[in-house]
Amino acid sequence: MPEKKFKYLSKEWAEEVERRLKKELTPDKMKHITSSMLTVYTNCPDGKTRAVYYKLTDGKVETVTLVEGTLPKAEFSITAEYEMFARISRAELKARSALMSGKMSLKGNLVKALTLSPTVDRLNEVIARVPTEY
Amino acid sequence: MPVKKKVAVKTDPYFIDFPKRVKSIQKEMARHGIDVYLGSRLRTLSWIVDAFMPWRSYIVIPPEGLPTVITFVIDAARVADDSWLDQDHILGYGPMGGQDQVALLTGLIKPYLKAGKGIIGMETGMGTYLPEGHLTLFEFVMLKAAMPKATFKNAHEMVDRLSMIKDIGTINRFREASRIVDIGHKVVREAISDGGYLKMTETEVAGLAAYAMRKVGSEWEWSFTGGNEIAAGYRTGLAAGACTPASRKKLKTGEPLMVDLHAMFKLGLGDHSHNYFLGKASKRQLWHAQNFVDLIKKCLKAYKPGVSPTKLADQLLAFAEEREFQDYLVPGFEHGIGMMGDEWRIGLNDGPFEYWTNPEHPYKKDEMLICAVQYACPEEDVGFRYENPILITENGCEALSKFPLSIDVV
Repeated sequence: MPEKKFKYLSKEWAEEVERRLKKELTPDKMKHITSSMLTVYTNCPDGKTRAVYYKLTDGKVETVTLVEGTLPKAEFSITAEYEMFARISRAELKARSALMSGKMSLKGNLVKALTLSPTVDRLNEVIARVPTEY
Repeated sequence: MPVKKKVAVKTDPYFIDFPKRVKSIQKEMARHGIDVYLGSRLRTLSWIVDAFMPWRSYIVIPPEGLPTVITFVIDAARVADDSWLDQDHILGYGPMGGQDQVALLTGLIKPYLKAGKGIIGMETGMGTYLPEGHLTLFEFVMLKAAMPKATFKNAHEMVDRLSMIKDIGTINRFREASRIVDIGHKVVREAISDGGYLKMTETEVAGLAAYAMRKVGSEWEWSFTGGNEIAAGYRTGLAAGACTPASRKKLKTGEPLMVDLHAMFKLGLGDHSHNYFLGKASKRQLWHAQNFVDLIKKCLKAYKPGVSPTKLADQLLAFAEEREFQDYLVPGFEHGIGMMGDEWRIGLNDGPFEYWTNPEHPYKKDEMLICAVQYACPEEDVGFRYENPILITENGCEALSKFPLSIDVV
């Protein structure tokens, strides 16, 4: 039976991401960080802008929420085109390269972001394993 | 304003009320109709942040509340550790989307502009001092493109005016830096005495002094003129010269030696020069030396509130003429000084030549300057330098370096 695929940025995809993050990432693995992050996807296939909001408290993934319309405040906000994020998720492009080329934009304290990036990479590794249909 | 716990307490002799400095700038901003201030000069950063900032950095001062600093990301955590400002107000910039200098500055400034309009105070100008840090044309063009409806106004005079009179914490930092410099001089004198100078080079003298001063807490031989400036022989008497980064020149018997040491303590600056003859001195050399020492004594007696660089120069040049050594005197007797990055011009930019000292600037109590006198006789390969941080007091001045004034034959 073929593996079920989740439509990228759908409600079901966000729920699966949250389920897996909560299951696979322990507070120790996430270095007990407390933070919030918003990934903003511009120019989605339907022309809209969408975002995913992640909230971590003491290393525990609390919520992964799909957002449309007014964006909540977050400690870090990463903005790029939908296709750019999709390429990163498909491991065709590294997030660092996207940031360094200016195709992806980060808002928030860069020093903190650099400190947190190895930990956030763990989060991305889990997300990358979610069977996804782009 | 919330501040970090490690901020010095008022009983600390080096305490400076930095939040008060920020509020004083904000008061001036309101008076001048400036919505937000963008500082980029090293002197402004030192005066507000209380951290040494060697990389291109900026400070955005809102109309009220804490300022935010941005510096090169590789140094942001260290600056935040040294500063009274917390890490949420010391940000790093780097070559990443949304994190370059222009993007960060625009993001910090825009919230204080109404519909993109408003007045941004900036720091531009001209200087002899390389690391001054004026906003560059490129930075200005990029920021203007990002905020096209905003008006940029050169406003550094506000900071210059506020930082001119020194508070007790600043003065004490300078006093300590001078005490450290004096230790450097003591070690150099001991090392070069009784033939100790033989086989030594200028760079070695510079290093000896640096080591001695660092041992007692100097953070840096701060001067951009090559740290400790050491000159021997003909290099002491270069025509109209007053800048001698140490070279590999060997010290030789019968030659003059100029030892100009710099130490930094909590961004307060020590800067004192002492002069020697190595092994022996001719009658003529001692004549030059006596002229110089007498001139410095006269100079130190002259500093007091109300005296201006012109008045002082007139008096000292008259003395030089009377003693017939006017040909050997570089006709300038001081330069400005403040916390790290504030060097060279005295007072405000209000003289006949833009961004040079106003020769009519009247000194005021608690103003500081570096008494800087250069004597140079190129045809005889002899010269001397005197530098000493001077605090203008109620009726005279206090020379912060206490190393005895003399030209010693060692």
